[in-house]
Amino acid sequence: MTELNLIIAGVGGQGSILASHMVAMAAIREGLRARVGETFGAAMRGGAVASHVRIGKGVNAPLIPRGGADIVLAMEPLEGLRNVVSFLRKGGLLLTNTHEWLPVDVNIGRANYPSLQSIKEAVEQLGGRMIAIDGTSLAQQAGDVRTLNVVMLGALAATGKLPISTETLKQIIMENVPRKTVEMNMRAFELGFNSLK
Amino acid sequence: MSSTSEIIVEDSPGKRVLLMGNEAIARGAIEAGVRVAASYPGTPASEILETLAAAAPKLGFYAEWSVNEKVAFEVAAGAAITGVRSITSMKNAGLNWVMDMFMTLVYGGVRGGFLIAVADDPDAHYSSNEQDTRFAAHYAEIPCLEPSDAQEAKDMARYAFELSEQIELPVFLRSVTRISHASGDVELGKIEKRDRKPVFDKHWKMPWRWDVYGPPSAVEKHRWLHGQMPKIKKIVEGLPWNRLDLHEGQSVGVIASGIGASYALDAIKLLGLEGRVAFLKIGTPTPLPEKLVEKLLKSVTNVLVVEEGEPLVELLVKALAKDANPAVKIMGRFTGDMPPVGEINIDIVAKAISKLTGKELPSDPQLEKVREEVKKLVVPRSSTLCAGCPHLGTYWALKRALSKFGGKVPIVNGDIGCYEQGGYGIAGKEYKPSFSTESVHYKIEAPYETLDTNYIMGGGIGLMQGEFRAGYGDGPLVAVAGDSTFFHACMPAVANAVVNKAKGVFLVLDNSWTAMTGHQPDPVTGVTAMGEKTKTLCIEDVARALGVEFIRVSDSFDVRATQEAIEEALKSDKFAIVVSRRVCTLQAMRLKQYTRKKMFLEKDTCTGCRLCVSLGCPAITFNTEENKAGIDPIICVGCGICAQVCPVGAIKVGE
Ligand SMILES: Cc1ncc(C[n+]2csc(CCOP(=O)(O)OP(=O)(O)O)c2C)c(N)n1
Repeated sequence: MTELNLIIAGVGGQGSILASHMVAMAAIREGLRARVGETFGAAMRGGAVASHVRIGKGVNAPLIPRGGADIVLAMEPLEGLRNVVSFLRKGGLLLTNTHEWLPVDVNIGRANYPSLQSIKEAVEQLGGRMIAIDGTSLAQQAGDVRTLNVVMLGALAATGKLPISTETLKQIIMENVPRKTVEMNMRAFELGFNSLK
Repeated sequence: MSSTSEIIVEDSPGKRVLLMGNEAIARGAIEAGVRVAASYPGTPASEILETLAAAAPKLGFYAEWSVNEKVAFEVAAGAAITGVRSITSMKNAGLNWVMDMFMTLVYGGVRGGFLIAVADDPDAHYSSNEQDTRFAAHYAEIPCLEPSDAQEAKDMARYAFELSEQIELPVFLRSVTRISHASGDVELGKIEKRDRKPVFDKHWKMPWRWDVYGPPSAVEKHRWLHGQMPKIKKIVEGLPWNRLDLHEGQSVGVIASGIGASYALDAIKLLGLEGRVAFLKIGTPTPLPEKLVEKLLKSVTNVLVVEEGEPLVELLVKALAKDANPAVKIMGRFTGDMPPVGEINIDIVAKAISKLTGKELPSDPQLEKVREEVKKLVVPRSSTLCAGCPHLGTYWALKRALSKFGGKVPIVNGDIGCYEQGGYGIAGKEYKPSFSTESVHYKIEAPYETLDTNYIMGGGIGLMQGEFRAGYGDGPLVAVAGDSTFFHACMPAVANAVVNKAKGVFLVLDNSWTAMTGHQPDPVTGVTAMGEKTKTLCIEDVARALGVEFIRVSDSFDVRATQEAIEEALKSDKFAIVVSRRVCTLQAMRLKQYTRKKMFLEKDTCTGCRLCVSLGCPAITFNTEENKAGIDPIICVGCGICAQVCPVGAIKVGE
């Protein structure tokens, strides 16, 4: 694969932006061209966040066109679906965490959260495929829920769909997480990687 | 570990790294040997100064968070007058605050290179409006550079200082969200030494150079400014960021400025039209490389202008076409061939080029139908305050205090900061327009429905005084503002309220930081941009000095005390200030000044009244089948506000 369009989606505070930067850094280290278009505003948590990663020779703009995403990596199922609907291409993959982060709109009774089964059916109707893992539990198992983004990167690497080597990605992660948490993050990466086996 | 903050100061020309547009702009300034950097935070521009401030102590230059953009602009301009290189950066709205100095400084220009970097926000992702600040550069008669990606952002920022010194004028760099908050691979350049000595000469090359009132006159200085333009036009003609790609037999041309060029290139590729349309890439929307534009206009019959913001390039190209080739058709946002508002993207540009060339876009109508169908499953995620946010406590207290006024119609004037979410509404709820001729009372279901007006920083406290002067009597008048906003823009309005004897309650939500834009320090924080300890200003002291007589201070986490303070203020017959204070919880956790606690909800005690849900905390959930509230243990930080809200004592604070 020479070009990859990846969206990393989640809720503010789940580390999707950092995850997208790490994928792009790994691509650059392997001599590829990379673009990341991120949507984040306030420092506040709880908002919908999506980061577009484009890797390949011919990429210019930082945002993926409609129906142009090969993979949507989701830290949260609803955020995965939100991006799948507009961006996932036919034959694309939704790789999602199963743990729900309920929006206030649902909590105050103004909306209904879609079931994982209905999300799966939606992805399939669009000609895509869904893989779901309980990333949140794996992150807790690794030592801290905050390693969720690295768990999901591990799973992403295990799909074999990244045009970069798993070793480079791991190296980049080690360089970009706080020093004291390197070991825990490596554990998180392995847990995510092995969950797809 | 080689984090970005370390790479930024590395003198390793040729190295390729991933940089965010804002980091790239900062790196450009660092390579150019910048000496003074000043800014006020604002998304999507904040990381420019954040990056510079982190680098400043390592490289020996100065960076500050100023109290507002106007002061920041003046700090940077003052440095440039003494001949050293300086940068000021801000978001779109920030430029409105500096216009007075900006429009006047250009009459004498600068001695050291001066870069004004402004990040616009098409689609108003993080802003009150979509304003296009390139017009301000045009208005001020200075050149505007507009990068198409992170590499150009760095290269242009670096070059801006050289250009500025060559033309003795500030240089404008216009970024947009998709440059500032996008990242790309950037090849680093060499870092120049910063050993220039600051000097001052009152009559440097022009009498009374730095005093517009000095002889000969402001008009003569305007004449000088105007006289710089031919030189600037000649320079931009040869810049590498203005490029014409023309081939035999092309009848359609695309002129694309800034990020528009990236979208256009990808759109041309998507359509399989590479090499089949003439392409003029613009890096200086004002002044335009006129010769290149004329050359293009003379060789094609149709031109599409692709730019982010208002149709500036389009109108300037139209003006040039009148003499160059009146027959050529020019299309863009002005003519309605591109959407007049909102952000553009690859899809929008591809559609416009498709229409113009007749080359069809690859499409799958069946799949589009399915997309529309499954979209119905997607529910909104309203933006919320964080779990444990002190503003949640303040808004609850305000709601309770206002409820004491029964069916009255208060006006709560909002302001800009995290607490502006008090007026975001609830995305999952439908709001209908009302055509009543009387004041209308609306129930506040969640804190996100608290604010009634909101426009710009410092706006609320002024509006409140106008409502009072109009004689509004159907309910109490309130204005809110945060600590950063208080110092940025509210002090003149407080003085105004005091001396002109206005009435109303000014509620200051003091969380010690400029939280919304990513936790920059402000005058109450006690730390500078470069990490030095400094004096802490106290809002109630300032208010007292400005003559405010009614002042109450409360802890935002103590909901009852805050409610009582607000109630008292509402009853007061004087202009009243209530400072609701508590450090931003996110920041307190980061600085290890906050200990997380666990909250417990006793299911058996919970009556399902949903009062806690209406607190608006994202950690509080509700299970409709059980008719019970719940607390998400991952999101909850244990601030204890909900325990104070629960009327039956079902929520308890643990350890
Ligand atoms: C003129 C202008 N400059 C900057 C901004 C960006 N901005 C948005 S909110 C905010 C200030 C937030 O600080 P504060 O008032 O202390 O409230 P907090 O977010 O901490 O609650 C700023 C600077 C803006 N909207 N307008």
